[in-house]
Amino acid sequence: MFTSVSRRSIVGIVAASAALALAGCSGGAGLPGDLPGAGADAASAAVLKDAPVASAAQILPGSTMEAIKNRGKLIVATALDAPLVSQQDPLNPENVTGMDAELAKLLATYILGEPKVQWVPSSAETREAMLANGTVDVVMSTYTITTKRAEQISFAGPYFTSGLAVAVKADNTTIGGIDDLAGKNVIVQTGSPGVTQMPEKQPSATLVPFATTPQGVQALVQGRGDAYVQDYVLLSSQAANNKDIKIVGLPFTEEPYGIGIKHDNTQFKDFINTWLKAVQDGGQWNQVWESTLGTVTDSDAPKPPAIGSVPGS
Amino acid sequence: MIISQESLQLLLNGLGTTILIALTAGVGSIVVGTLVTAARVSPIPILRRAAFAYAQFFINVPLLALLILAVFALPAAGIILPLVPTVIIVLTVYEAAYVAEALRSGVNTVAKGEVEAARALGLSMVQSLRYVIVPQSFRSVVQPIGNVMIALAMNTALAAVVGVLELTSRVNSVNLVHAQPILFYTSAGLVYMAIALVIGVTTGVVERKVAIVR
Repeated sequence: MFTSVSRRSIVGIVAASAALALAGCSGGAGLPGDLPGAGADAASAAVLKDAPVASAAQILPGSTMEAIKNRGKLIVATALDAPLVSQQDPLNPENVTGMDAELAKLLATYILGEPKVQWVPSSAETREAMLANGTVDVVMSTYTITTKRAEQISFAGPYFTSGLAVAVKADNTTIGGIDDLAGKNVIVQTGSPGVTQMPEKQPSATLVPFATTPQGVQALVQGRGDAYVQDYVLLSSQAANNKDIKIVGLPFTEEPYGIGIKHDNTQFKDFINTWLKAVQDGGQWNQVWESTLGTVTDSDAPKPPAIGSVPGS
Repeated sequence: MIISQESLQLLLNGLGTTILIALTAGVGSIVVGTLVTAARVSPIPILRRAAFAYAQFFINVPLLALLILAVFALPAAGIILPLVPTVIIVLTVYEAAYVAEALRSGVNTVAKGEVEAARALGLSMVQSLRYVIVPQSFRSVVQPIGNVMIALAMNTALAAVVGVLELTSRVNSVNLVHAQPILFYTSAGLVYMAIALVIGVTTGVVERKVAIVR
């Protein structure tokens, strides 16, 4: 009895370790071929080929744009472990793909004429500090615009609107959305809008924060919480790969993503907004969406949000 | 007011959890560490080897790896515990290895003649450990064990990664609203420093009281 239990436990631990390693792969360090949106390289090249480039007159003397142009590369802080949003290729760290990453390449092309980007991994804890001390030029990392944050840094955009959604285990039939989460244990991601939004929507729910999206999914599958509240886009890319979870209901918040820049750098903010308008009008924005987030949904490309349309932008 | 009443309450709750984890794991690791040391110096070969393997394993595997294994791999094996007890258990068995190593160096300070005298008086192995060896060992390693306790208090911050709402985790979420990382993380750093100072000062007082002057 004892031996059989312990043997099973050991097998379980080994299997779970392997599963974790695999989860780590699909979330953080997988082969490009395994990821949704693979083959985006070709699409990326096509988008960049006819991307808009700023005229010499737009690169104002003494501006941030000029400093970037003289340096020869744009320094971008982004997540690097979010499939379809900003996913780094472990075999070729220079190659980052996803919605945020493709837009960053387009912005680099706009300033430099070529997509030269230096990627800096960002976390929710370090974003504002990296902008304030000039470590990076921009933060493009599903960065929700809020008025509180706008007191510390400035936001160009918004360039995309997402929202929080609810995922549950595939066999769950009792939870149909955010309204059913009162008093439940709800997994969220550390540093994501779920941490601040959940107490407002369902004050009686208990939060269980995990550091990464794959960890949150793993915790949900293992029953550490009744539901996982996370960005709809990130949940979609996880659910596309994982039959153990499903998304219930529609997004219940509106998260406008902005491009974070140093506080009160109005010149640079106007410049980025001009570029955003150019890639929206030029169709590159749609192409980027279709080759990244658009690959896991049936719906048509959404209409990009109006620039400056939310408080804080 | 730079920070809301609610946020402050969250931070205090987090500090409470941090202290709870540090205290219980601290007491637990001293108890487990003592047992491991006793096994390490016992005359029974299999106990000695088991204690050696225990100490080597926990000293050589990173705490974060242990935490992630305990939180994600054990449920897959059918064992699921709430998060705070899981973290307390992991920290206890992890730091116990360091306590055991510190205490073993204390055992080496006990004069061989005393151990032989205990045996000559007819004390059993357990009795000599309990009345002669372990008490004297503890009195010579107060400071090293205090340092292990400080490391333990700092290591509680890793629990934030696996979903425990302790101080660091609360600072993360409060910072998410206020977006002032330097202010909040510096403050949290000072709080951790205060905890370390309290442990350090307490250790100093205890050391002065019990140290054996040889």
